[in-house]
Amino acid sequence: MSRSLLVDLAFYILSAGAVVSAWLVFRTDSMVRAAYWLLVSFVAVGGVLVLLSAEFLGLVLVLMMAGEMTIMAVFMVMFMMNPAGLNPMTMVHQHRAAVGAGLVAFAGLAGVGLVADFPDRAAPSDAPATAELGTELLGDSMLVFETAGVTLLATMIGAIAIASRRGRYGDADAGSLPPELEAPAPKARA
Amino acid sequence: MSGAATWWLAPLALGAALAGGVYLTAVLDRLVARAVAGVPLGVPDALVAPARGAALLLLSPPAATERPDAQSWALAPALLAAVAAAGTAAIPLGPGLAVADVPDGIVLFGAAMALVMVAVFLHGWSANSAMPLLGGYRFVAQALSYEMPLALVLIAVALPAQSLAVGDIVVAQEHIWNVVRQPLGLPIFLVTAAGLGFWGPLALPDAADVAGGTSVEAAGSALLAWRAARAAVLVAAAAMAAAAFLGGWLGPVLPGPVWMVAKTAAVLVAISAAGHLLARVRLERFVVVAWTVLIPLALVDVFASGILAL
Repeated sequence: MSRSLLVDLAFYILSAGAVVSAWLVFRTDSMVRAAYWLLVSFVAVGGVLVLLSAEFLGLVLVLMMAGEMTIMAVFMVMFMMNPAGLNPMTMVHQHRAAVGAGLVAFAGLAGVGLVADFPDRAAPSDAPATAELGTELLGDSMLVFETAGVTLLATMIGAIAIASRRGRYGDADAGSLPPELEAPAPKARA
Repeated sequence: MSGAATWWLAPLALGAALAGGVYLTAVLDRLVARAVAGVPLGVPDALVAPARGAALLLLSPPAATERPDAQSWALAPALLAAVAAAGTAAIPLGPGLAVADVPDGIVLFGAAMALVMVAVFLHGWSANSAMPLLGGYRFVAQALSYEMPLALVLIAVALPAQSLAVGDIVVAQEHIWNVVRQPLGLPIFLVTAAGLGFWGPLALPDAADVAGGTSVEAAGSALLAWRAARAAVLVAAAAMAAAAFLGGWLGPVLPGPVWMVAKTAAVLVAISAAGHLLARVRLERFVVVAWTVLIPLALVDVFASGILAL
C-alpha cells in the first residue's frame, strides 16, 4: 500500500472514531465513562492534527485533555452525591434546549466549513511546524497570547486562593466556626 | 528503522524491548531487595523467579466483583502498557536507532505519560470496590502533583539542544551530560519517575494501607498484566532518564546501544533501591512538597538552563 493511501485510511478511521466516541458521550450512563469517551474523541482529533503535520498541537491536545478529563470526571462525581460515580445515571437533560443548542452549533460549524476558504496545497511532511508555531506565538501574535496567558494565570491564582486551606475562619480542615454575633470591641488607638 | 521494507519491524522491536525491560526490572528489583536485606544474592534464582511468579499468576483464577465496569477494567492494563510503549518509541537506543525519533519526541513522551493517570484511575474506578476507588483517587492527586515538575525538567533538557527530539537532546550532551549541566534535573526527574510508575515511596495508589489499592480486586492474568504494564512505565521513565540526563548512547569503547541499556538498568536499580530503602510517604505530604518545593526548583532549573543556553 502506498503511503498516501495509508494516511487517508488513518484520517478516515480517526475522524469516524472522533465522531462515534463523541456521540457515545451522550449515550453512556456514567459520568466517568462520559468523560473518558470525550477523551477518546480528543485523542482521535489529536491524531488528525498529527496527520496534518501539526504534531506539536496534536500531542499537546492529548497531554492536556488526559488530565483535564480526569479532573472533570472527579469534579462531576463530587458534585453529584454519587461517591463512586458507578451508579448509572442519565447524562442528558433538558432535551428541547439541548437539541436546539446542538442544531445551532452544528449549523454554525457546518456553515463555516462550507464558506471558509481552506488552503489546498499539501504541506511538506518535513515542514518545521513546531518552530513556525513558536515564532508565531512569540512574534506577531505575542500580545494576544500573553494577554490570554496572564488572564488564565490570574484566574488560577484566584482559584487557589479561594480553595486555600487557610481561610477567614481558620484552617479548612480544622472545622470552621461561625463568626461571632457581636463585633469584637475596637482596639483602643494609641 | 524507517525503511519501507522494515516498517513492520518497529512494533515487534518495541514489544521485545519492553518485554525485556519488564523482565530486567523484575530481576533487578529482586537482586536489590536481597542486597538491601544483606542476604546472598542468588543470581540464578533471581533469573527464574519472575517467570515462576508469572506462571503462578497465569494459572490462578480470575477474580470477580459485583457489577464492575468490565470493559474499562480489562482495558486499564492494556492502556497502561500502550502508553509505556508510546513513550518508549520516542527514545533512541543508538544514533538513529529509534522506533519513532519524531521531532517532538519529548512532547510525545509527556503526552503518553499524562495518560498513565487515566489508566490508573480507570483501573481503580472500574472494579466497583471501595479500596481500588480510593487508590484511583489517590493517584489523581499524585499525578497532578508530579506532572508539572516532570514537564518542566523535560523542557529544561530541550533548551541546550534547541530541539524537542530525544536524539538531538542526546547529541547535545556530547561534551557535558545534562546531569552535570543541570544538577537539579535528574533528582527531580527520578522523583517523578517513581511517581509515574507508582513505585517505592510513591506506590500510593496500590499501597498496603489501602489493602493493595487499585489492584486489590485484580487476580490471575489481569494482575500479571497490570504489574507488567506498571514495570513497562518504569522502564520507559528510566530510558528517558538515561537519554535526557545521562548522555544516552554516548560512551567510550562499547557500542551505543549497550551504553543505553546499561544506563537504563542503572536508573532502574536506583529507583528500585529507593523502594527498598525509603519508607512510603504520605500523599498529603507529597502533594505539598511537590507544589511548594519541586515545582519552584524545576522552574529554577528551566530558567538557569535557559540562561546557560542563550
